[in-house]
Amino acid sequence: MRGKFIITLSVIGLAIASCKKDNTNDNNGNSSAQATLEQQVLTDFAGNLANPNYQDIQAKALVMNNAIIAFNTNPTDDNLAAIRTAWKNTRAAWEMCEGFLFGPVEDFNYDPTMDDWPVNKADLDNVLASNNPLQVSDIDQLGTTLKGFHAIEYIIFGVGSTQKAANITDRDKLYLASLGQSLYNTTVQLRNSWDPAQANNFTAEVINAGNGSTRYTSRLDVFTALVGSMADICNEVANEKMQTPLAAQDSTLDESSFSHNSVNDFKNNITGILNAYKCQYPGAASGHSLSELVASKNASLDLKIQSQINTAIASFSSITTTYEKAIYTQQNQIKTVQNAINTLKVTLEGDLSAFIQTNIKD
Amino acid sequence: MVIFALVKCQKSAVFPADQYDDRLSGGNATVFDATSKAFGNAFENLSSYDGYMHEMGDKVFSQSFVTAPAPIHSGLGPIFNNTSCVSCHHNDGIGLPTAGDAQSSLLMRISLPGTDAHGGPVAVPGYGLQVQDKAAYGLQPEAKVNIAYTYQTYSFDDGETYELRAPTYALSNLYTPISGTYLLSPRLAPPMIGLGLLEAVPESEIVANADPNDANGDGIAGKANYVYDVITKKVQLGRFGWKANTASIITQVATAFNQDMGLTSSVLPVESSYGQSQYDSLHDDAELPDTTLNAVKFYAQTLAVPARRNTTDAAVKRGEQLFILAKCASCHKQTLTTGVNVAFPAVSNQVIHPYTDMLVHNMGTGLADNRPDFKAGGQDWRTAPLWGLGLFPVINNPGFYLHDGRARTLVEAIMWHGGEAAASKAYFSHLSKSDRNAVLKFLNSL
Repeated sequence: MRGKFIITLSVIGLAIASCKKDNTNDNNGNSSAQATLEQQVLTDFAGNLANPNYQDIQAKALVMNNAIIAFNTNPTDDNLAAIRTAWKNTRAAWEMCEGFLFGPVEDFNYDPTMDDWPVNKADLDNVLASNNPLQVSDIDQLGTTLKGFHAIEYIIFGVGSTQKAANITDRDKLYLASLGQSLYNTTVQLRNSWDPAQANNFTAEVINAGNGSTRYTSRLDVFTALVGSMADICNEVANEKMQTPLAAQDSTLDESSFSHNSVNDFKNNITGILNAYKCQYPGAASGHSLSELVASKNASLDLKIQSQINTAIASFSSITTTYEKAIYTQQNQIKTVQNAINTLKVTLEGDLSAFIQTNIKD
Repeated sequence: MVIFALVKCQKSAVFPADQYDDRLSGGNATVFDATSKAFGNAFENLSSYDGYMHEMGDKVFSQSFVTAPAPIHSGLGPIFNNTSCVSCHHNDGIGLPTAGDAQSSLLMRISLPGTDAHGGPVAVPGYGLQVQDKAAYGLQPEAKVNIAYTYQTYSFDDGETYELRAPTYALSNLYTPISGTYLLSPRLAPPMIGLGLLEAVPESEIVANADPNDANGDGIAGKANYVYDVITKKVQLGRFGWKANTASIITQVATAFNQDMGLTSSVLPVESSYGQSQYDSLHDDAELPDTTLNAVKFYAQTLAVPARRNTTDAAVKRGEQLFILAKCASCHKQTLTTGVNVAFPAVSNQVIHPYTDMLVHNMGTGLADNRPDFKAGGQDWRTAPLWGLGLFPVINNPGFYLHDGRARTLVEAIMWHGGEAAASKAYFSHLSKSDRNAVLKFLNSL
């Protein structure tokens, strides 16, 4: 489930060696200023990124749900376009949170519940042709390949993005309404799982790492999970999501082929890494960041990571057509993007992992 | 200090045995990762092509299959237990002991009493050897698997109490009646780590540890399971599965695709529903391309083992001593060595610490499924590898243990042991609280 996120023995050895250098500060070779910054980074990761990101997914899923309701009342092509826009906006927020895919999103399987792939079209057609009441409670009983983002995408975009409002049947609309509500309900659960106002919230697990958290016995544990998840999404985008359809020369293997949204999906995944590294999210205040922590000890490493993230994100602009087409016509551009992401991956798995293992000593 | 650090930079293979780093559970195929993704790492230093194959297998492992006909990932079902590998093997770890839900990881084996022509379990007409409790939309699953627990409180010798939950399993909503008595055996999706290493342990080394008649009189027997392999059509040493009823990774993977997901392959081209009313009659077999099957097999073969943590901790060391004194290590053997394999150096000649002898042992009536599986009797279970054990709660929060996930903690898992392990359990129960905690601390370091 992940690429080579490997802290080698040499890194551990280096850690053992280097912890001796700093031990004028406390028993763990840690200055109180740095400990404070580490804690601030974790607190702000939860407060200024994770919570706003999950709140935004919920808010955008609500907009999409309302757009579906409006379309079902007045099924025009304009109203269909409004659902499509809302779907892409929700999708963007979701893909960004995949830059740090750990915690409840994996513990409680919110990811496959919302984002399983591919759509089970044969069964979906059978569901529509059946007498299933298609209420939200019925949708909740269906397999994950019959609901979530891609089932909605299939109905509102259709194969090859050719769907028209006039072709969407009453059964489709009933199904779509429950799919939208079901997805929204899951985004609420996901958001609540981090909401500091809720019992047993994951924000508390993160910010109390090493200080009462049942999940993380140290701040280092959280930083390790965070950096690991950043490297993982690099691998997933460059070497799986992009590579599989390219290698097979099969556009049906694209992630969001109905909407032709795959390039945006990929780019938003990498933007999620930028958000995680810089502790920022659109519309939210930025906070103390991993970038700041790295820069405090190794400014050149920080610049290198920022540069590589930005290069990877910028490289997507070279793909000027849909990914479904680019796998045939813009293979060199795709390879350039893959290389940029893999360069970043190597730095995250190597330099950044070594940095946190060496410097975070709680 | 610097010298020590430099020594630590070396690969395990260069150490003389007496300097072996006991953190390296998987030898060279050890990874230093204690996060929730720790079971999902490829072997280090795979060649570029092998790394690519691992990635392709990883992708298939994590993606869903769908009902035929479909342009991609076609061929799920018509009856199945789950839609993807990862929906049972969450994070490549142990699964969730529920049945019938989207993320359920428990399946039920079924058979009639007696043995078939190959000495294995007897298939149930209309059901085969496994209950598929899900079906394509509009079709009927074979049955619903019902799990109920009864809870009882017990005490250690010092009076501290613990609770065990005893499961009962029953089928309902049978799609067609079964005449007579049938046998059930629950099986939870196991962790995926280190399979390639276990496959590479020479048969002679495994068999050498067997003592089927307890000739040495230590109360611990242990026998090799020999099973009929459906791909090679030969009787072979069983290595994988909770009762060691599967000989190889390729058979395990192809069988899981066929039985758990309803996907045919060139090596197992017959639908699990063949001869049943749910059979789809499509001429699309084999549904799984050989390249896909082999990529997933390679993925399973090349998942690294996480390194141990806290190996120098005094309590961990104390726990390790107690683990040996309690004779836990008589079955959960610390060390095995893989055979030389010049064609696949990653698993060649590695000293590994899987904490298993890969033999089956009588574990008593409490854990018995009473369903023999080749040479493994109704109370026999394969010694589960313990590497990675301490990471279960991180990887599969909260984590479950034993063949059906009945144990919610390591304490419960230990106290379910019986049969050949009864004396070891009694030893643990007799320990002081601090010593019990030391044993747990040791297990959590694995």
